[in-house]
Amino acid sequence: MCKFAKFLLKLLAVGLVLNVGLFCVFFFDLDGKLLFNVVEPFLKKHYDDMERKDTLQAPYDMNKYPKYEYDT
Amino acid sequence: MAKKDIKKALKDFWFGKPHTAEEGGRRLGEILEDKTGLYKHREWRGVKDTMYYFYMIWLYNYIMMVKDLMVMGGVVNFAKGVWRYRWVGQTYLPVLHWFDRGLQGLRGEALKGSAWHYRAMVSSTIRQFQRMFASDTRLHGGKQNELYKHNIAHNETVWGGVFYPWDGVIQNVPLEMIPYFVTCHVNSHTVLNYIDAVQSIGLPGDPCPMCQAEAGIFVLDDVPDYAPAVITCNEACDASVSTSTLQDWFLDKPLFSLPMPMIFDDPLVKKYCMREIEELWKFIEEQYGIPFSWEKLVHKLEQQNELQRFEWEKWEVAAKTSSYPINGVAQALYRIYQTQYGDWEIWHKVDGKVRKIMEKCVTKKINTFPQTRHRVIAWSCAPLYYSNWCTWAYNCWGLNVVINMDSLMFDMTLRTDSYEHTLEDMAQYHMWAPMRRMAVGGMKHMFELWEYMEKFNCDMVAMYDQLQCKGVQGLHGLFEDEFRDRNVPAFWIPHALPDSRTVSRAEIRRQINDYMTTVMHEEPLDPSLLDFDDSMTW
Repeated sequence: MCKFAKFLLKLLAVGLVLNVGLFCVFFFDLDGKLLFNVVEPFLKKHYDDMERKDTLQAPYDMNKYPKYEYDT
Repeated sequence: MAKKDIKKALKDFWFGKPHTAEEGGRRLGEILEDKTGLYKHREWRGVKDTMYYFYMIWLYNYIMMVKDLMVMGGVVNFAKGVWRYRWVGQTYLPVLHWFDRGLQGLRGEALKGSAWHYRAMVSSTIRQFQRMFASDTRLHGGKQNELYKHNIAHNETVWGGVFYPWDGVIQNVPLEMIPYFVTCHVNSHTVLNYIDAVQSIGLPGDPCPMCQAEAGIFVLDDVPDYAPAVITCNEACDASVSTSTLQDWFLDKPLFSLPMPMIFDDPLVKKYCMREIEELWKFIEEQYGIPFSWEKLVHKLEQQNELQRFEWEKWEVAAKTSSYPINGVAQALYRIYQTQYGDWEIWHKVDGKVRKIMEKCVTKKINTFPQTRHRVIAWSCAPLYYSNWCTWAYNCWGLNVVINMDSLMFDMTLRTDSYEHTLEDMAQYHMWAPMRRMAVGGMKHMFELWEYMEKFNCDMVAMYDQLQCKGVQGLHGLFEDEFRDRNVPAFWIPHALPDSRTVSRAEIRRQINDYMTTVMHEEPLDPSLLDFDDSMTW
């Protein structure tokens, strides 16, 4: 068998395995299960623990910007 | 196994199981995991449709999302954004499940047409948050880069069209469309953090939860700093005015307030509104030093008109045939997203795809929703956490939501033949804001329901009942009287817009089930969908 045919066969085999693998992820909702059970809880914990600025401490500078006098 | 059983199994494998219980039934409720709503396995729709879903929806959209992220701002900015902002990390990673929930049970052309609408919304969402992250001073060491200097922030109900004169020079990015509105549809848990945050600082819990959530994002300091100036509006009600006050406080930027008149049928009010838009343009020119371009405005409005003309073609098909290939949730979300955000390339691309699908359906007279028992029009504002209720309603009861109020709000093209006409139409468009024209815009507009019901050949009404909207609450009794007088079958869907804790999805389904059994005396098409627990689902 020529080199090119072998390469093609290999490519086909890899493509097939990849397709079957991805189809299993799709069909059994493995992406959803991973995101729901692992990724989201991890990120939620990260966001819950995050230090946040106390926005209420910011002054409300009502006169900081020029007064817009528009003709309406 | 008997020969007959083998034949049926092979038929089910090749074509997918039939819809109804009498024919053997696909029992979609049984493929869901209890509480989480995850799938034990995704639906087998027959070889052709399953492969279409796998390659052209699931895989294609994952690939296109990565492509969009790379082209629009890059993966590094995305990763930084995910790490910094809850609303993106918690919400948008499981976006393919949003597709699953909206497209459940669909087959053939309806599956294809509806999925393209989702693709456009995802692309537009990525475009917006990537622009935020690429410009965000918080993600770039406090630096105001060039993108920052060419962005303008605005409330999500300020129509993107008012910024058309600066197309390609100043990019408008709504403050809440992606951090709030779209999150509720994709992952309904995220928004609860923001509602609780605003109540934790002492604000009352009874105003509209949309306004609460939009303010809560600011209270939790979860808004990117991506633009030098901001445009606010009173959206649909007084609660939104309070939100704008809080936003003015927390943003601390030059701000222009573009009001939406509550009573807008008065020509004098329209004149006032036209002047307001002109003043907004003056504000932008002053802040950015970039002049208004009439040519750009006309060009973009023409583009938007093209989208509207195709929408009218879609409505014709939806109204007069049973070949409309878009389901209720895709119709509603795509249309409100497109009309509010304004013209953008992806809408045209997707409309081109949908046109081909729709033309095929019409030419071949394909019945896209063959189990339709009732043609439903959905009226008032929908529950954001359960916008896919209509997918469930079709699968379970054969209730086909043909059209909805949100789709019909901006039923107009805009004239571009003179400055005066253009401004007049833009004022009209601006005044017909979401939740304004037909939800709190007075009885005349709320009762446009009857006209559209006839136009779309509907025989049933799904009436949304936003429990925390004082405007809609005031008209509840009037609608009840009208339904009785006109002998129109109608069921109510109580909800609290983004807050899934007030009325659960299960409670919404229970109310529809009760109506269909006790009033309509009908049997479900798929009994496995009558009662299931999805309390923890996205």
